[in-house]
Amino acid sequence: MAVPPSYYLLLSAALFCIGVAGVLTRRNALLFLMSIELMLNAANVNFVYFSQFWGNVTGQTFSLFVIALAAAEVAIGIGIILVLYRNFDGVDVTEATTMRW
Amino acid sequence: MAAFDFAPLIVLLPFTSFFVAVAAAIWRPNILPKGGALPGIAATAGSLLVSLWVAVEVLGGGRTAETVYVWSTGVGDAPELVFSLLLDPLSALMLLIVSLVATLVHVFSLGYMNDEDETGLPRYYAGLGLFTASMLGFVVAGNLLMAFIFFELVGLCSYLLIGFWFREAGPPSAAKKAFLVTRFGDYFFLVGVAGVFATFGSAAFAGPESFPAVAEAALTGEASVRTFGFGTQTWFSVLGFLILGGVVGKSAQYPLHTWLPDAMEGPTPVSALIHAATMVAAGVYLIARIYGFYALLPTVLAAIALVGGFTALFAATMGLVKREIKQVLAYSTISQYGYMMLGLGAGGYVAATFHLMTHAFFKALLFLGAGSVIIAMHHNEDMWDMGGLRKRMPVTYVTFLAGSLALAGIVPFAGFWSKDEVLYEALVHGLGGSPILLAAYGMGLVAVLFTGFYTFRMVLLTFHGDPRTELARNPHGVGWNVKAPLVVLGVLATTAGFLNMVPVHELLGFPPEYLHDWLAHDGGRSAFAGLTSEHYGELLHDWAGYSTVELSAILPGLVSLGLALLGAGGAYALYAGDDPEEHTEKLGAAKTVLYNNYYQDEYQVWLTDSVVKPLSRTMDTFDQGVVDGTVNTVSSVSLFSGRRLRRIQTGVVSNYAVLLTLGLTALVLVVGVLGGWFA
Repeated sequence: MAVPPSYYLLLSAALFCIGVAGVLTRRNALLFLMSIELMLNAANVNFVYFSQFWGNVTGQTFSLFVIALAAAEVAIGIGIILVLYRNFDGVDVTEATTMRW
Repeated sequence: MAAFDFAPLIVLLPFTSFFVAVAAAIWRPNILPKGGALPGIAATAGSLLVSLWVAVEVLGGGRTAETVYVWSTGVGDAPELVFSLLLDPLSALMLLIVSLVATLVHVFSLGYMNDEDETGLPRYYAGLGLFTASMLGFVVAGNLLMAFIFFELVGLCSYLLIGFWFREAGPPSAAKKAFLVTRFGDYFFLVGVAGVFATFGSAAFAGPESFPAVAEAALTGEASVRTFGFGTQTWFSVLGFLILGGVVGKSAQYPLHTWLPDAMEGPTPVSALIHAATMVAAGVYLIARIYGFYALLPTVLAAIALVGGFTALFAATMGLVKREIKQVLAYSTISQYGYMMLGLGAGGYVAATFHLMTHAFFKALLFLGAGSVIIAMHHNEDMWDMGGLRKRMPVTYVTFLAGSLALAGIVPFAGFWSKDEVLYEALVHGLGGSPILLAAYGMGLVAVLFTGFYTFRMVLLTFHGDPRTELARNPHGVGWNVKAPLVVLGVLATTAGFLNMVPVHELLGFPPEYLHDWLAHDGGRSAFAGLTSEHYGELLHDWAGYSTVELSAILPGLVSLGLALLGAGGAYALYAGDDPEEHTEKLGAAKTVLYNNYYQDEYQVWLTDSVVKPLSRTMDTFDQGVVDGTVNTVSSVSLFSGRRLRRIQTGVVSNYAVLLTLGLTALVLVVGVLGGWFA
């Protein structure tokens, strides 16, 4: 009994929209990171599903790369947030506005 | 042609002395004995010797027009720009005059500058050296552009030397005035040079390719030139008038004569060299040099004659009332150059050249004589403070008197023969059917009377009567270095006229008219046939329509001699006593007008204030408003929009995220709509 593809697409779209909404509405930098993870995973869901759907492992392999990339991104992101915390005494992204006109 | 191989040395020697003086002034101020006078004297004497050698060569029929240095080869059929050397009787004569006067002035400067313990002598001698080199370069110039370059250099040296005593108030201002006024004329000259290049494609003076020759061929229809839509004759006249602008400025003709009297602020030897004998001669010499061109243009010739005659009279009247000895001489210089212009305009090429030569000698003599008096008077130039110097400075008196007799035109001194010939040429060509020349002749004739008067007023006030001040009773002595140049020039001022005694030749059949013969022939070289007075005579007859009447030279000569004697006699009657009165006071308002030079300076200042300044202000408004306005508007628009646009750089990451998202959405929407996804 196979689940129809539209379910996976809906799940992935929902995850992506939640991620976008998080980035647009949240002020906490950590939540930013998490939202980005959500968007990446929305892509991974698609990769994995269509890999299984076509019987081709390339998509699953690619999702492994994305996970590795996400790990790297988190490492850098955490570093940035650490610096943000030291310089602005907090992780609110709307406070750090010195690089503007 | 050995002499011609050395001819560049004539220019290079004084130029070297300029460099020596400058180098010494910069690195070893006290290394040169006499403040740099000796290299200058050696260089100018060397130039004089080479000039003599060249003159001998030219006398034997030698002529040359060679290119010395090409400094710009034209692209396509653009003309080549070259330094070239033209040695013919006219330039050889002028070389002799300039190098001789320059040598004597250098020697005189020993007495006038060194013995008076002036400072800044290397600067002075550097200026004299550069001036001499530039003037000699101008004389040998073989094309109009080279002539223009040296013309400008001569003007620059004039500026430097007038302003020699730059710590006083007068000289710097006089130097600027001389520079600006002559530059005003030179501006027209420069446009004329460009016009000559554009029209003829060549600015050479000699040979079949030269512009006077091409102009003649164009008028006969044998050659075609660009005339920019004008008639050929009209366009050539425009060019002639443009070049004439430079001449009027440099030779101090009305209305650009105002700089010359002020230029007397310079050291007196400079006045002698530059403002009497040579630089001012440059303008007249230029016309003589390209006389083959001017002889084709009757309109321009008439204008030259009229300006010359008018200037001769106009300046002579101003000389009548001056108090300073150098001022009288300055106005006499303007007046005498007026005669030369009159001679050239009236078709008397030889006469004008002759007057140029004799004037160079007697005016240099008079200025150096005045310099000697000024040394004696401890730099007081007011003639009313002098008197009775005759007994105290006999050498100066005798030579000055010879110069004065020459200036006044008393037989047999040099000025009589040349001035008489100028007037004679004006008269015969005028009677030949040109009322303008007759009018110019009339003015020249009246000026003879005034010349006689102011000359002898000057002599009588300076040397005769009783000394009027303590200074004049005990004048400062002058040395050999002052007397020697005076004696040489005194002899020349007395005898130079014998070169060309037209009335005597007519009466007795001898001696030959040496100067006529000197300038008449091409030495058997047909390339130089266009530069002879014979050829000019044909041109004047064919193109300018000048014809002569048969007239004896004796009667007009007697008339001008009579007028000169009358003027001199008038001065004697008024100023001969032991204690002469200031008769000029009796002239009343006329004296004020004359003393203020007919308010020419005021009139020119008024012209500047009321015409040039508003015009400049309008141009300035246009420049500031329209030209700068366009540029400023463009920049302020981008400044304004930049100031608005930068507001989107808030520094808040969320805003950037919104923009990114919206942008992507918009992009997808656009691609979708265009791609027909929603159809």
